[in-house]
Amino acid sequence: MHPFDIKAALLAKHAQHVVLIHFPIALFLIGVLFDVLARGAKRSLFAAAAYCNLAAAAIAALPVLVTGILAWQFALEGKRLKGILLQHLVLGCVSTVMIWVVFWIHARSRRNNGEVLPSYRWPIEALAVAIVALTGHLGGFLSGVNVPT
Amino acid sequence: MRRSVFMAGLAATLLLGMGALGVSQKNFVASAQQKSETTEVKIDNFTFGPAGLTVPVGATVTWTNKDDIPHTVVSTDDPKAFKSKVLDTDEKFSFTFSKAGTYPYFCSIHPKMTGKVIVQ
Repeated sequence: MHPFDIKAALLAKHAQHVVLIHFPIALFLIGVLFDVLARGAKRSLFAAAAYCNLAAAAIAALPVLVTGILAWQFALEGKRLKGILLQHLVLGCVSTVMIWVVFWIHARSRRNNGEVLPSYRWPIEALAVAIVALTGHLGGFLSGVNVPT
Repeated sequence: MRRSVFMAGLAATLLLGMGALGVSQKNFVASAQQKSETTEVKIDNFTFGPAGLTVPVGATVTWTNKDDIPHTVVSTDDPKAFKSKVLDTDEKFSFTFSKAGTYPYFCSIHPKMTGKVIVQ
């Protein structure tokens, strides 16, 4: 395939899932990092940056979920869900929910005129980071990025 | 007279022995040819094994996916000589090579996985 063959690139069977997936992962991880920095440095700019990144991650997670299902149908011809494929799908759905829960906690705080963020968000954010990382790791096997050398 | 009978018997024994040897050799060659007509390629750990394969014309190559990940077997040339569906774990794909030539192939899901069949 020619790298500048736009039609082939856009209509690839992976339905752009392998392209779009990087956005929510990066935005969410950076969002959590800014949240940690906001707490450590006690600076509202970091908190605002965390909120913006988490909001963008939550929005970006939705097309990723849809394209993931399309990639399963097109690239993998809707193969039976089992093993790594099943784990990736389940963890992908859980990741999306977790990203939205973290975003909702932050959004609710902002809605209530900057109410102090609850400390129970830390284990939720930590768990979400772990699940997102694990989902990406398994996705790397399905896409061939994690091919053994 | 006794000597000529003995010689004739010896010659006949030798002929029979050679004949038997020839037949068994023929059988051996035939069975070897039969063996080479169906060849297995295992897809395991993101590799085709063996990656390079030489088979006679008319041979059938069967690929079996031993990975937990779906794979495909697609010839690189255009138009494609062969193209499997997505193979789940333990699923097989067979193709009979009726023309001599070199057939490079790859997994369309994981393009780094490549192999080659040489048909002679």
